[in-house]
Amino acid sequence: MGLGFLVPAFLAALAALAVPILLHLRHRDRDRPMRFPSLMFLEQLPIRTESRQRITDWPMLLLRLLALALLVFAFARPVLKDKRVVGADNRTKAVVILLDRSMSMSYTGVWPRALDSARAVIDRLEGKDRVALVAYDDAAEVVQRLTDDRAAVRGSLGAVQPMRRGTRLAPALRTARQLLLDAPFAAAEVIVISDLQRASASGIAGVEFPSGVQVRGIGVGNGTWVNSAVRSLDARRVREGDRTLLAVKARVQNHALPAARQVTASLTVNGREATTASTLLTRDGETVITFAPVPAPDGAVAVRVALPPDSLVADDTLVAVVPRDDVLRVALVAPSDMSASETLYLQQALGIGRAPQVQVERLTSAPSNAAALARTGVVLFWDMAPDASTALTTWVNDGGGIVLAAGRRLATRRSALPPYAGISFSGLADRVSDRGGTLRDVRAEHALFAPFREAKDALTAVRAWRYPRGDAVPTADILARFDDGVPAVLEQRIGSGRSLTLTVPLDNQYGDFPLQPAYLPFVRQLVLHTSGRDATPLWLSTGESWSLPTTLTNPVVTGPTGVLTRPQADSAGAAVALPDAGLYTAYAERASGEPGAVQAVNVPASESELTPMDTTELLLGVRTTSTAESAASANTDASMTVEEMERRQNPWRVLLIVAAVLLLAETILGTRGRRGMARRVVPGTTSNRSTGGSTPAGP
Amino acid sequence: MPVAPAAFLDPALLAKISDLALLARTVVDGFMHGQHRSLRKGSSLDFAEHRSYQPGDDLRRIDWRVYGRTDRFYIKEYDADTNAGVLFALDSSGSMDYGSGSVTKFVYGRMLAASLAWLSQSQGDRVGLATFTQDLNEVIPPSVRHLQRMLHTLAATTPKGPSRLVHSIERVGLLSSRAGILVLITDCYERPDALGRAVDALRMNGNDVIVFHLVDAAERDLPGDADTTFEDMESGALLPLKPDDLRNKYQTLIRAHHEALQSRLTAAGADYVRLLTNEPLDRALHAYLDARLTRGRVR
Repeated sequence: MGLGFLVPAFLAALAALAVPILLHLRHRDRDRPMRFPSLMFLEQLPIRTESRQRITDWPMLLLRLLALALLVFAFARPVLKDKRVVGADNRTKAVVILLDRSMSMSYTGVWPRALDSARAVIDRLEGKDRVALVAYDDAAEVVQRLTDDRAAVRGSLGAVQPMRRGTRLAPALRTARQLLLDAPFAAAEVIVISDLQRASASGIAGVEFPSGVQVRGIGVGNGTWVNSAVRSLDARRVREGDRTLLAVKARVQNHALPAARQVTASLTVNGREATTASTLLTRDGETVITFAPVPAPDGAVAVRVALPPDSLVADDTLVAVVPRDDVLRVALVAPSDMSASETLYLQQALGIGRAPQVQVERLTSAPSNAAALARTGVVLFWDMAPDASTALTTWVNDGGGIVLAAGRRLATRRSALPPYAGISFSGLADRVSDRGGTLRDVRAEHALFAPFREAKDALTAVRAWRYPRGDAVPTADILARFDDGVPAVLEQRIGSGRSLTLTVPLDNQYGDFPLQPAYLPFVRQLVLHTSGRDATPLWLSTGESWSLPTTLTNPVVTGPTGVLTRPQADSAGAAVALPDAGLYTAYAERASGEPGAVQAVNVPASESELTPMDTTELLLGVRTTSTAESAASANTDASMTVEEMERRQNPWRVLLIVAAVLLLAETILGTRGRRGMARRVVPGTTSNRSTGGSTPAGP
Repeated sequence: MPVAPAAFLDPALLAKISDLALLARTVVDGFMHGQHRSLRKGSSLDFAEHRSYQPGDDLRRIDWRVYGRTDRFYIKEYDADTNAGVLFALDSSGSMDYGSGSVTKFVYGRMLAASLAWLSQSQGDRVGLATFTQDLNEVIPPSVRHLQRMLHTLAATTPKGPSRLVHSIERVGLLSSRAGILVLITDCYERPDALGRAVDALRMNGNDVIVFHLVDAAERDLPGDADTTFEDMESGALLPLKPDDLRNKYQTLIRAHHEALQSRLTAAGADYVRLLTNEPLDRALHAYLDARLTRGRVR
């Protein structure tokens, strides 16, 4: 049995054992001393020094020496190196199987091979080797923790099925690492059973395993693969007479088809098959399928495009949700005496873009009746005071949106603005002399600035020469300021609607915003956000989360698998995770009646890319011992470092506890009985009489 | 059944009497019961005054010389109450608290001082007391009325602390300008030469000095066995020794010390009396009376 020390330098402190020995030699406890009138004559007697220096209290000395030695050993961190003693019985080989269950694994023949590979790994285990099973897709799930019950692992293996989800290997590797850290092991192996898609390698750089862990992959994918996948679709509403039709185009990606293939694709609208389209798929590359326009129902439309099944069925369909109306009408209310050039940039910018398309209608006063307002998404007041009409107020409270673009006219206006303006102006700031004011304190996390989250500096280039100066009302939420502190963008919630006020010039007379690249996405997002129709993609990918509309109170969401979820709302609203591909439907309060929102979710397009990677290349980012080193260490006792052995044994804790007990016993013994009365012997002058009595004797 | 007078002088018995006055009277009466009455005549005969003869006065006390000059009868008066001042100096240091038996040196010395004071008072002497350790602690000047106060002080004194014997004796010598009898009661843990010089100074002032050297038997012989740690009763210092191996050497040192003390103090003109604390008090009383009579003869 080998005994080692992690910090052998501390053993030098054993020299301190001499201290109690010397103290015991020098400090003799008085054992019932005999009181005597004077030591005057006794001190004149010849006394042999060596006879006085002897240890009288061996038990106490041994107690102290033992406690001190234990303390020194504890700090030296002893470790027993003999594995038979160290606990090799409970430190067997550990194997963690990471089984890919993403959509790509459902390719014909891949999943059975994956299961066979996993069973083969289990069958190769020896003795009390333990195995764990982790199934992963976008996320990792521990199906079976480390166990030597192989039957249980095989049983749990049968319960795992490919899912319509993406692939991310990094979470699975981290899960395996945690499993291994939680249980001692002599040697460990992490086996990745996957089709080794390139997309799955994202994020694994930096995953680090303890030494002694070997990571390897078993590729079960096909070297050559044939597949057609619906990669995307484009859907928009078109007017045909009095009808609104839905025009849908789908893009199909083909790979290594044996020959051009004639297929019939189907289009399903709100769960009903609407039309089909026959097309010839090319062997490789993209094919666009154009469906004949079909009548578009009111409200949001769930669209599903399906191809005939092939080797990978899961990517033969694609779902999308087309928003309720593709056209967002903006009523641009501007003073009658204003030239058209002032709003030229704004109108042109809003006219660009689809899904939704923005239609700008220029007016001199806000729509005054409810019917006209109902067709309007946003009322934009251009440098004029908004009306305070009842119809407009009611419309806003019911979910309408108002934008107030303030300029020189409003800045010099004397009469008060309606409360939903959110600001009271006090004049015009002139920044011509200092090259204009810039935007600061932009709330990048706000939905208004969503297009700029990846380009945070896009708005800082905007300069404003003159802009209205004003003070925001307490209820207004300031989303951006100028560098002099003047509010530049404010938002106020009014009932279910909202009002946004801008002092940043949207024309090119008082600023250069229209000339900046950020202008177009900003004004588009401005009207979308104000109308409550923030631009949403037609579908999201699995693994992402869905921010539910704020108009839904106490939302409940049904997923593609029928699972009900009731997400908790926070300051940013409610959001729900999207683990599975399909349609998610959100309701207010109860999962019945008219849905409040629908969201389509598809597997990432990368799942259809089945070209396998080389195992070594895939696991290149995983930090562990080299393959050769691991292989060598797996067959030797050196797989566990001395530090790990010591960490698992922790003998220093026992030593510290024993030392503490000994010191406690020493304290008790030293303060009780005759030792408690012991005093230090002070050899030397004990009386003044020997010196003639002329000096007082000390105590 | 009559009790032998000597029984009243046994220190072990006397130590059981807490009332020092009773103790002293017991000692003195017991002692005097066995003494010749003439010893009691040894009182002071200092002339005090003349007074006119009154019928009934002893004719032998008529001063005939005055009658020859004045033709009148006068009686010659002698002041017998104040014929000597006796000061008892008692060592009350920690070492005096030692006693291998039932009586410590201090208790023995206290009984001795009380008895001698009672005896002196009965003979008309003025008695006083000085207790000392490193310096004088309690001082009661000699007076015919100070016996009870002296006894009370003796009863209240407890031995404690280190001592400076020579220094204390020097201070005792300064207490009174009148020559008298100085009774020094101590265990004499001091170098004989130094102690002799201090006594010389007292004698130079005309004092009669009686040194009672109190010794405990164990202190003389060295107690303990193979391994014993001795603790100094005054300083508290400890000294581990093997008494069995050192006893002879120790006794030799002690004997030499005692002989040196006797030689030096006798040479200084003092009466040196070494008393074992298990000895009856009569030897001490005899020594005292001898010294007292010697002083009377000298005058």
